[in-house]
Amino acid sequence: MTNERFDAMHISLLIPKSSSYTTKNKTGSWSFMRPRYQEKTAPCSARCPCGQDIPRIEMLVSRGGLEAAWRTILAENPLPGTCGRVCFHPCEEACNRGEFDAPVSINALERFLDDAARDQSFSEDNSKAPPKGKRVAIVGSGPASLSAAYFLARLGYECEIFEAGEAPGGVLRGGIPSYRLPNATLDREIRRIEGLGVTIHYSAPVSPEFIASARSCFDAVFLGCGHGKPTALGIPGEELALDGLEFLNKSKNGSLSASIGSALVIGGGNSAIDVARSLLRSGTSATIVYRRRRDDMPAFSHEIARAVEEGVKIVELSAPAAITRKGKILELTVRKMRPTEIGADGRMRVVPIEGQTEILAADAIYSAVGASAAEAWMLPPQNPEVLHLSHSAALWNCPAGIPLLYGGDPVNEEESVADAIASGKQAAIALDVFFTKGQASVEAEIIRCKVGDGTSLSMEIYLGGARQSRANKVVRFEDLNDDYFVLSERQRGASVPAEVSVRSFAEIESCLDEAGAAKQAERCFNCGICNDCDNCRTYCPEVAVFAARAARGGNWTEDAGVDREVNVDYCKGCGVCVTECPRCAMVIEEQQS
Amino acid sequence: MREVLEGSQAVAEAARLARVKVVSAYPITPQTHIVEELAKFCSDGSLDGKFICVESEHSAMASVIGAQSGGVRSFTASSSHGLALMHEMLHWASAARLPIVMAEVNRALGPGWNLWVDQTDSLAQRDTGWIQLYCADGQEAFDTTILAYRLAEIVNLPVMVVLDAFFLSHTYEPVDIPTQAEVDKYLPPYEPKFLMDTKDAYTLNTVAPPNVYMEMRRSIQMAMEAAPEVYEKIEDEFYEQFGRRYGLAEEYRCEDADTVLVMAGTAASTARVAIDNLREKGEKVGLLRIRMFRPFPVNALRKSLEKAKKVAVLDRNCSFGAGGIFAQELKAALYGSGPNPPKLYSYITGLGGRDVTVDTIGTMYAMTRDREEPASESLWLGLNEEMLKS
Repeated sequence: MTNERFDAMHISLLIPKSSSYTTKNKTGSWSFMRPRYQEKTAPCSARCPCGQDIPRIEMLVSRGGLEAAWRTILAENPLPGTCGRVCFHPCEEACNRGEFDAPVSINALERFLDDAARDQSFSEDNSKAPPKGKRVAIVGSGPASLSAAYFLARLGYECEIFEAGEAPGGVLRGGIPSYRLPNATLDREIRRIEGLGVTIHYSAPVSPEFIASARSCFDAVFLGCGHGKPTALGIPGEELALDGLEFLNKSKNGSLSASIGSALVIGGGNSAIDVARSLLRSGTSATIVYRRRRDDMPAFSHEIARAVEEGVKIVELSAPAAITRKGKILELTVRKMRPTEIGADGRMRVVPIEGQTEILAADAIYSAVGASAAEAWMLPPQNPEVLHLSHSAALWNCPAGIPLLYGGDPVNEEESVADAIASGKQAAIALDVFFTKGQASVEAEIIRCKVGDGTSLSMEIYLGGARQSRANKVVRFEDLNDDYFVLSERQRGASVPAEVSVRSFAEIESCLDEAGAAKQAERCFNCGICNDCDNCRTYCPEVAVFAARAARGGNWTEDAGVDREVNVDYCKGCGVCVTECPRCAMVIEEQQS
Repeated sequence: MREVLEGSQAVAEAARLARVKVVSAYPITPQTHIVEELAKFCSDGSLDGKFICVESEHSAMASVIGAQSGGVRSFTASSSHGLALMHEMLHWASAARLPIVMAEVNRALGPGWNLWVDQTDSLAQRDTGWIQLYCADGQEAFDTTILAYRLAEIVNLPVMVVLDAFFLSHTYEPVDIPTQAEVDKYLPPYEPKFLMDTKDAYTLNTVAPPNVYMEMRRSIQMAMEAAPEVYEKIEDEFYEQFGRRYGLAEEYRCEDADTVLVMAGTAASTARVAIDNLREKGEKVGLLRIRMFRPFPVNALRKSLEKAKKVAVLDRNCSFGAGGIFAQELKAALYGSGPNPPKLYSYITGLGGRDVTVDTIGTMYAMTRDREEPASESLWLGLNEEMLKS
């Protein structure tokens, strides 16, 4: 049936309807609030010692912009292949996604990008600032020195590295086993730095005399000597113990030693774990002896877990007291300890249990209880003129007459590769400010380059890049609108089973494939940055949000978000855009009259 | 095909067969079964429509207003507090002249928290410009929903199909469900008289200053005034095709009745039994069940009651400070209807789901018969007076 027969009834229908341009009605004049795009800092970036722009890196990976993502890492970190493998990834602990389901696999994605760069021969951004006409001597070739050389070279300095040994990399080459960091990866990273014109002198140990006379050839010296001297055990018979660090270097760069039966490894840090796991790979059964509890070990927990899985035994609450030889066997006497209370440093205090000792026997005993600077001059002097920054120290007016900068483990609170890289970057910025703006500006400039609320620095911010417009506010989970996120599974690359990995020094974890990486990168909330999700424009009741690129018919580019704006002629300040922004990339503020 | 369905399911079936394109609703007992059923239809593909989940009834109505403005048939359902929350948007829907259909299940408002039948929720929306049709059984709920789309789209006003909580919404009865082809034959595809269209752009619902506002209000009233006539015509067509009709108000044994009982909703089924009993005892009593409450079909009601000497109205509602709402409306309608209008007796009972039994109806009739003149206010039946002493 039809409704036509009712037309004759002429039922009244008078509605408010206008065909005049609605643009005449500037509804923005009603507003007392104004939204605007204000990118903020993601917690991962703030927590990353290198201050990497992680939300942006993952956004680019999720869209297939792998080369752009790669270059985004290199803006802040010259050693992504290394960090993608060995970093303790505090970024993942800070990841907001951890409060939703599980953190984004940031570390595995960094490794993925390194492998992608190798396999697809990505071109690196080798651009450098105009030459500053200054030369910097860099002592040591560990991560802090490599980082300092990289950033200083890019800032226009001529850099020369002086390495005491025969190969570059410091602890990366000699202290981290191949199953965690193959030399081939490290070699690529070093070629990158050499590609910037950095010269590396080998078998070139530096002496205090060299520094005293450096002025004739150099305008500054960076000391990144690291911790080269093993810490003494301080117990009777300690000369019978072998040096764990030396063992690590030999087993990686020399020939693999034959099985020695059984070994004890004294210590609880990453080196102790590395020594024990390397021993296993040479067919030696390894037992770690540690004075506190397993939970108190300073080694990364995932490394401890993997070591145990591979077959390393841990004897905890056992403080070494003496080493004695009994025929071919070594005996380690340990005092049994008991936990008491948490100390001021947050670690459990332990005290000996009166009269309780135990004797552990093995074919060899390795000491891996830490290390310190080999020589006193490698440390900043006790001098009120030394400027102590979070990751470096500087003595602008030293007896040698040129600035001296100190970086790496000796001046870092956290002894990690990422912190060493941060150290080199911080020293590079400090030195550049010293030369270009003067000593008085150094601290203010360091603060200006901060990423978020911690100590991480951004070279991109220092150089005036787009990142400098981001607010230091660190986006928390409660700042996000998680209505727009769906649960998804976290994945890293596949790992070889422990019983297989323990048979060789081959890498344990494989790389994510491209589809897997894109899927993992998509899990990133992109906290604090615009990823063109378009919610603001979609939900604006006044059609007052413009995305110029979208209007041009553009797809994603590397400049997501930059051409979005709110047309204040029509924005009524309702704040829907801000509320519906899933990632806290907008703010709304009362208008200033 | 005859199926055994809940009242709620009958309404959902009707919306499906009306080929609604958008359903948006927020759950509230006792309405929830209706939209649950429709959500199922949307997800299993038996309805080619989109179900929009929202965070409140206000948004549910706003969503269907948006959908209908975009030129598609839409549906929602609510109840009690949910309907109260929609209030602002109810005004909007009618003044925007959108032929939205909503099922409203009569439920009491709290506090005291109460899930059961009470007509105050829908009657409190009487001034919002919605046509209101009250149903008494599952078949009628189905048929009325189909009729509602037809009526709404001719007069460009929204229609509320009203069902009693539980007694109708949750009761299973045999319901004859026509085929899609049969419904399509009766209900033509929706042809909006205006819609948001980027090819012919204009602004809807703009500012209406004093020089036009009043005319727009008059236009709503004119459409309302036309609604009873349109309804009767489309119901004739419905009768031709499906063999069922209900009228603006349904008469039962009224022909020679001296006293006519008036009510709406499922209580009327009980009243029929009471009337049959009374008739057996020789009482000349009939029943008039009001179906259309907005617009109030004054002429039809006057005609149905022209021979009656007494009219007794049963209200399952109360306008506090005034009394039973159907009684007030009917009293106003009868004023000036002729030289000897019937005397009107007003009773309130059955609030918040309290049973209205055959005895309740009997009492109501006896009180009406035995009193020469009606009380000036509504009388409450079945109260526990003890409780009120404290």
